[in-house]
Amino acid sequence: MKTRALHLNSVDDNTLWNDLKNGDEKSFSLLFERYYNDLVNYGNSLSPYEEKVQDCIQDVFTDIWVYRNSLQTAVVVKAYLLSSVRKRIARLYERDHIFRKTASTDDIAFLLEFSVENDLLDDDYATKEKVHYLNRLLNELPPRQKEALYLRYHQGLSVEQIAEMLDVNYQSASNLLHRGLLTLRKEWKGTLPLITLLFSSTL
Amino acid sequence: MQKRNKYSEIEDFLADESFQAWVLFKIDKEGWEEWTLESRQRAKLVQDARLMLLAMKVPENELSSSDIHRALQATWVKIREKENQKYVKTSKIRFLGKQILTGVAATLFICFISSWIYSTYFKIDNNIVTYNELVDENNEGLVEQTNNTTKPQIITLSDGSSVLLQPNSKLSYPKIFTGNERKVYLSGEGFFEISKNPHKPFYVYANEIVTKVVGTSFRVKAYSDQPDVEILVRTGKVKVKSNDLVSKSDKEEIVLLPNQALRFQRSDLKFNKITNITQDAVLAQSVGNIEQLSFEFNDIPVSQIFETIEQAYLVDIDYPKNKLIDCHLTTSLSDQPLTEKLKIVCKSIGNNTSFEMNGNQIIITSEGCN
Repeated sequence: MKTRALHLNSVDDNTLWNDLKNGDEKSFSLLFERYYNDLVNYGNSLSPYEEKVQDCIQDVFTDIWVYRNSLQTAVVVKAYLLSSVRKRIARLYERDHIFRKTASTDDIAFLLEFSVENDLLDDDYATKEKVHYLNRLLNELPPRQKEALYLRYHQGLSVEQIAEMLDVNYQSASNLLHRGLLTLRKEWKGTLPLITLLFSSTL
Repeated sequence: MQKRNKYSEIEDFLADESFQAWVLFKIDKEGWEEWTLESRQRAKLVQDARLMLLAMKVPENELSSSDIHRALQATWVKIREKENQKYVKTSKIRFLGKQILTGVAATLFICFISSWIYSTYFKIDNNIVTYNELVDENNEGLVEQTNNTTKPQIITLSDGSSVLLQPNSKLSYPKIFTGNERKVYLSGEGFFEISKNPHKPFYVYANEIVTKVVGTSFRVKAYSDQPDVEILVRTGKVKVKSNDLVSKSDKEEIVLLPNQALRFQRSDLKFNKITNITQDAVLAQSVGNIEQLSFEFNDIPVSQIFETIEQAYLVDIDYPKNKLIDCHLTTSLSDQPLTEKLKIVCKSIGNNTSFEMNGNQIIITSEGCN
């Protein structure tokens, strides 16, 4: 979100993308600088090997430049980049015996743990507890649901784009997102009175 | 912004950038605060969405712009390699960009190279290799830097290596090192400190001599009007051989260790190894500032460390004197190129310290030491 805000006034992705296709190095560098950090953050949530992650991202950009002539024109640049990075890392997992023996793209696990924005949580104690509880529930979700949530709300991808990335149809992607939140809300609602009770009794 | 009036699910809010900005960055351009209070039911939904967002924080590592810049350079290196691979079918090219990023710098000092005066040159023109010839041979698109001033000039190469170029000398080097080798061309004298990368040996071509280092840094000096070429090693291992252009048969390679030197006689292409440099008057005299200064610091004020660097590299360092007045460091910088030295010093002072280099002008920004 921060990065998005920063680039409000600059040239849009697709202009840069098309200039890049026509061999403009400057546009390539601008896109690189715009998304590298985001991609590193995403990559790190898929693999604990930071150096390899950066290597993969650089390989993605390398291929973009080397094969720029065969790139499609109408792409959502950010979704394209995120998806390429994911594929790259998955390939690394397949190839590299240092990595665990997981095989296909579907199996690379989203490792990221959501945390709590404590600095912004200026609420009362009960609400704070609620957020921490919610956070725990979020982290207990299956990796793919977590990843869908991350892509939707942190990287701002649309449901279609997430479906494409995770290689599922629209309905499944939507389910991933929805089910994630639904389970959460159900549990949250179900347990809350109990929590409140617990608190009031300890107070 | 009226679409939010139709929001009925938490998801609708979560995906709304302006809502996110309000919750996470307290930027309320759309008047969320007010809008929320319009209805009780709405307030409940908004609060739920807000808590959800607050429970979903992800760790964001902010890379510094220099990190990103370095990554970009590494990527250009990969691109050049891949393009080479595409056109020339070389099988053994490997991606080494990463190593550049992580390469640890070490230091070696090389070479004092000199050459015959022009007249002498033409007598044995078969054996003479000039800087211009060497540079013309290379088709990597070199950048040339000439030092016409009276003081040494510092050059930083794309791999982080530094070269202190003496007056009346010039250096040609690729803007970005590509392929499996790093090659530079020298006329005159230079002091090289090369960042370590065993997969990409560094070569200095100077007149008839090629000097190769693998994991260390070095210094080269080569004048075209002097009879000998001299190479002096400080740390690390250096290999020297004559350029193939001079003698294809002569594959003799001489290994030099720290504090050893080599004199090459251009007239008869003979190598003369000098194992004790202190006994050689010419060599002892030609040792520069940077070789004499010690970069071993033990509880030394930062100001003095900067002064030492200023003297060694003839640069100006601008730093917040008042903020760093009480800072003392213990560190060993002997084996590092300039940029590495600065990086280490900044890191040792504290996280909020960084440097910026502009020619021979270095600016340190700091909020004080830890």
